[in-house]
Amino acid sequence: MVSKHRTVGERLFDGFNYIALAAFALVAALPFVYMIAGSFATEAELTERDFFLIPRDWSIAAYQYIFSSDTIFRSIGVSVFITVAGTLTNLAFTLTMAYSLSRKDLMGRRLFMNMIIFSMLFSGGMIPGYLVVKELGLIDSYAAVILPGAISAFNLIIIRNFFQQLPPGLEESARIDGCTELGVLWRIVLPLSKPVIATFGLFYAVGHWNNFFSALLYLNDHKKWPLQVMLREIVMLSQLAVGDLSNMDPNFVTPPDQAVKMAVIVVGTVPILCVYPFLQKHFAKGVLLGSIKG
Amino acid sequence: MKPAWAVRLRRDKWLYILLLPGLLYFIVFKYLPMWGVAIAFQNFQPFVGFWNSEWVGFEHFRVFFSNPDFTRLLRNTFLLAVYDLVFFFPAPIIVALLLNELRIAIFKRLVQTMVYVPHFISMVIVASMTYVFLTPQGGVLYELIAQLTGAKINFLSDPDWFRPMIILQIMWKETGWGTIIFLAALASVDVEQYEAAIVDGASRLQRLWHVTLPAISHVIVILLILRLGNFLDNGFEQIFLMTNSLNRSVADVFDTYVYFVGITQGAFSYSTAIGLFKSVVGIVLIYGSNWLAKRFGQEGLY
Amino acid sequence: MTKDRVWKLSGKLLLAAVMMMSVLLAACSGGNANGDKPAASKPQSTADSGGADDGNAETLPPLKLDIMVPAFNTELPDRSSPVIQALEQYTNTEIHMQFVPNSSYGDKMNITLASGRLPHIMVVDRNSASYINAARTGAFWELGPYLKDYPNLSQANPIILNNSSVDGKTFGIYRGRTLGRMGVTINREWMANVGMSEPKTIDEFYALLKAFKENDPDRNNKDDTYGMVVSKYAGPWDIMQIWFGVPNKWGEDGSGKLIPAHMTPEYKEALKFFKKLYDEGLVNEDFAVMDPAVWLDPIVNGQAGVMVDVADAARRIDNKMQEKEARDTPYVDVFQAPVGPKGHRDMPTSGYANVLAVSKSAVKTEDDLKRVLTFLDQLGDVEMQMLLGYGIEGRHYEMVDGYIKPLTTPEDKALVKEMESLNQMLTFIGPATPTLEMTEINAKIAEVQLANEEIVVSNPAEPLISEVYAQMGQQLDNIIADARIQYIVGQIDDKGLDDAIALWRSSGGDKYIDEINTLYAAIP
Repeated sequence: MVSKHRTVGERLFDGFNYIALAAFALVAALPFVYMIAGSFATEAELTERDFFLIPRDWSIAAYQYIFSSDTIFRSIGVSVFITVAGTLTNLAFTLTMAYSLSRKDLMGRRLFMNMIIFSMLFSGGMIPGYLVVKELGLIDSYAAVILPGAISAFNLIIIRNFFQQLPPGLEESARIDGCTELGVLWRIVLPLSKPVIATFGLFYAVGHWNNFFSALLYLNDHKKWPLQVMLREIVMLSQLAVGDLSNMDPNFVTPPDQAVKMAVIVVGTVPILCVYPFLQKHFAKGVLLGSIKG
Repeated sequence: MKPAWAVRLRRDKWLYILLLPGLLYFIVFKYLPMWGVAIAFQNFQPFVGFWNSEWVGFEHFRVFFSNPDFTRLLRNTFLLAVYDLVFFFPAPIIVALLLNELRIAIFKRLVQTMVYVPHFISMVIVASMTYVFLTPQGGVLYELIAQLTGAKINFLSDPDWFRPMIILQIMWKETGWGTIIFLAALASVDVEQYEAAIVDGASRLQRLWHVTLPAISHVIVILLILRLGNFLDNGFEQIFLMTNSLNRSVADVFDTYVYFVGITQGAFSYSTAIGLFKSVVGIVLIYGSNWLAKRFGQEGLY
Repeated sequence: MTKDRVWKLSGKLLLAAVMMMSVLLAACSGGNANGDKPAASKPQSTADSGGADDGNAETLPPLKLDIMVPAFNTELPDRSSPVIQALEQYTNTEIHMQFVPNSSYGDKMNITLASGRLPHIMVVDRNSASYINAARTGAFWELGPYLKDYPNLSQANPIILNNSSVDGKTFGIYRGRTLGRMGVTINREWMANVGMSEPKTIDEFYALLKAFKENDPDRNNKDDTYGMVVSKYAGPWDIMQIWFGVPNKWGEDGSGKLIPAHMTPEYKEALKFFKKLYDEGLVNEDFAVMDPAVWLDPIVNGQAGVMVDVADAARRIDNKMQEKEARDTPYVDVFQAPVGPKGHRDMPTSGYANVLAVSKSAVKTEDDLKRVLTFLDQLGDVEMQMLLGYGIEGRHYEMVDGYIKPLTTPEDKALVKEMESLNQMLTFIGPATPTLEMTEINAKIAEVQLANEEIVVSNPAEPLISEVYAQMGQQLDNIIADARIQYIVGQIDDKGLDDAIALWRSSGGDKYIDEINTLYAAIP
């Protein structure tokens, strides 16, 4: 496919490229390696050493502590449920709307686009949003965490643009064959949009997984809290200065162990990190191979 | 004789049906709560509610613009936004293009997975780590730079280094994640065009310039336009965590100001007013840049 | 495409849509918020059963209570917790706890206020503008007139009640906290090694810090120690300046008027001292940017030897050092503040941490209110303080020689979980309870805190609510706080300090002073 000739310049560039990217990858990933290492270290070592990749004394106490009750399992389950159900909802809403808005001759298209862009920038804020959800009777239900974010205007616009880029010849031939719009979407457009669906599915999924604020706002029952709420609370508790007068609590409150904090971070991050590698095959080149030409 | 619009409605019936769920979503969750914007013109108190809160017209805007700190806030916000656009925005594009040039698939996948990890690390942790690395009291990077260059740079407190530090933090944290969308775009580039270019004898650089870049240009332009909509938004949490008494003169931006004045003191209206101001600027920038993009023959937002 | 296939396709789509709908519906059936349940119990026929009369409570159905408190852990009790059940039995209530992670309590409080549907009892930050406004517009019951009818609540400290009031009215019962909480924590061994004892004056304090830096207190022949560690959190400076005679936020200037702390001559003295500490390397060089989360580390790691903060920090530091290397005697000791040029002074806390407010939306009649107050009053009983603070005897703790000995460690999650964060609803207004067995450190901490009560300097403007401060308080505070730090590290000089104070005055500080004085004069 690609020419096997490489000039000296190109070879040099390649070498430089590999080194530079490797360096960047290391700088990016090492702090997380520290997190993992720290979660397997003793508290004493964490206080003493600022940064390390391999603990001197290994300890799984932090993980034992976290998993000794079912709280964390439950919150992981909640997070998974919200992520999966949420992403499916997102894709359903976004892809349908993006597709119909991608038809250039749709009446009212301009109006809808303006409406969407406007809503991206002007928002009522936290309180009115909460009141709407309350009126719908969704408080304390998972729908309250999923529905208000069903469509990201940002994602919608990009997906729509992508649909517009598809060769028009494709749909024409499908329509000539008697397909309805649904059919065109389902059978032709979506299969060709795998990188797009993978990308934005990932974006939405990560958004759900990392989201703690909606859960805090709408879920009153602490048994319904997703993992990120737990995680954030633990991290914030560690941040409290010892005598911070805003933390006016009697002797009962001690910040969580550093190791526990790191272990929760690892548990909260590793699952979602694993999603992208699985999707990478959809980013392979040549997905548009075989597009109808003439 | 049916009116033209009814004909089109009938013809595109399915399209409108597909459109319906999304439309409902926007109406219910975006437009219904939009009355909240009017809070900017009130002295809104949560318990008292919208209908009973006192109206004050443009008072908050007046207070905001006449605040002696306004110029400083504007300058800080603007400069950070510009730095972000100039230095951070191209970074994921460049890295994506570099990744695209890799031949060893396993290396490529490994690098891709590693560079996007920082996106998942909470800003609180990033701030703590930044302190550990840069503290003049023994921070690893601080010592390293001091040894290599002899310069004792206190990134954490020196106002001159605040903006570079913030941008470097953002670049470390978000570049990898940002490459994902460009890699997806690159994957959709028509392979046949590459082959044609090679047959024509194009070098790598020429292939980049004439095939690759044009192919992803529409994604770049869209992202740029959308980014401009949030132009005056700086990452509140990041700035808040990295601000201290010694660099506040350059660190204070609209977002942190809103936090201190608005949230801690419950002045919802004031923070909404400032948010409204930012939104207006954002809308102007979006439509302006969209128009500009179209003049250059790009697709634009619509 | 044939019609057949079209139908098949639509069918598939329809199926997908139905599946999606059912997923959503399942999510929706997660149940409604507790707030939806009818709040108060039925009206009593025994109308005026005063709170003190527990006997009547037997005949009434359990009082349903929704209580919202901050949570300091992720493992929280649900209704099956034996501690909650014991509580319900003792007080004849049905309790639904609504826990909110502490870090987001402010947001949640505002949202709850906005929704108009408040729980029966909620912890509120008395200083937040939304609470003040809500109280003024009738969200909460005014509890002041009722307190005298209850055995525990009538003993509430009138000064703290005043401090926690809004416009002189009590809208929430305060949650009592130690008043004289501050202390100076010092590494014992280091003190012994440099041959010094408790610093009783500021000069001795200075000498101690200097010795810690110069005389190799950890005996390792390396010049790697310094005196005191301070972080980005500026509490220590606030505490220490009071030693010098600076008032606690506001002080009388001799003519009956109040002036802010930074405009007193003692303030400059204090700052000069701080600057001296920094210039001589007795304080860590990076204090202005140091992450508060690692504030303790330099002491634990043997780089610093002194910390000025709450006295119970000593326990926390000692625990960490014991984790590193256990030994019988504590590593640190804790002392009262040294005596300054204007006498022995220290900074108090406000004596309380937030208030427990009773909402009118959930508690609809005065009779209901009285039952709620009975509940709050009972929380002050020794049994309830023990229950919510330490758990169930025999299960979570046992009594040994009159002291409480916990049977659980933090690792016994299941047990600890049963009572986690329930102590947040305690008012601590009531008789004193038995205490934990006094380790050497705990005994010292208690001793210091008790002795502090004699020397704390209160803030005369504490109960006053300022509109100017609500509008621009943070900005004003930042001007002075930043100037203080900049002066200490030498970024600005004396003139710069004066400029900052002038800026403070012209940016609204003068207005603030006038307003405070007007309010102050209005106090009978």
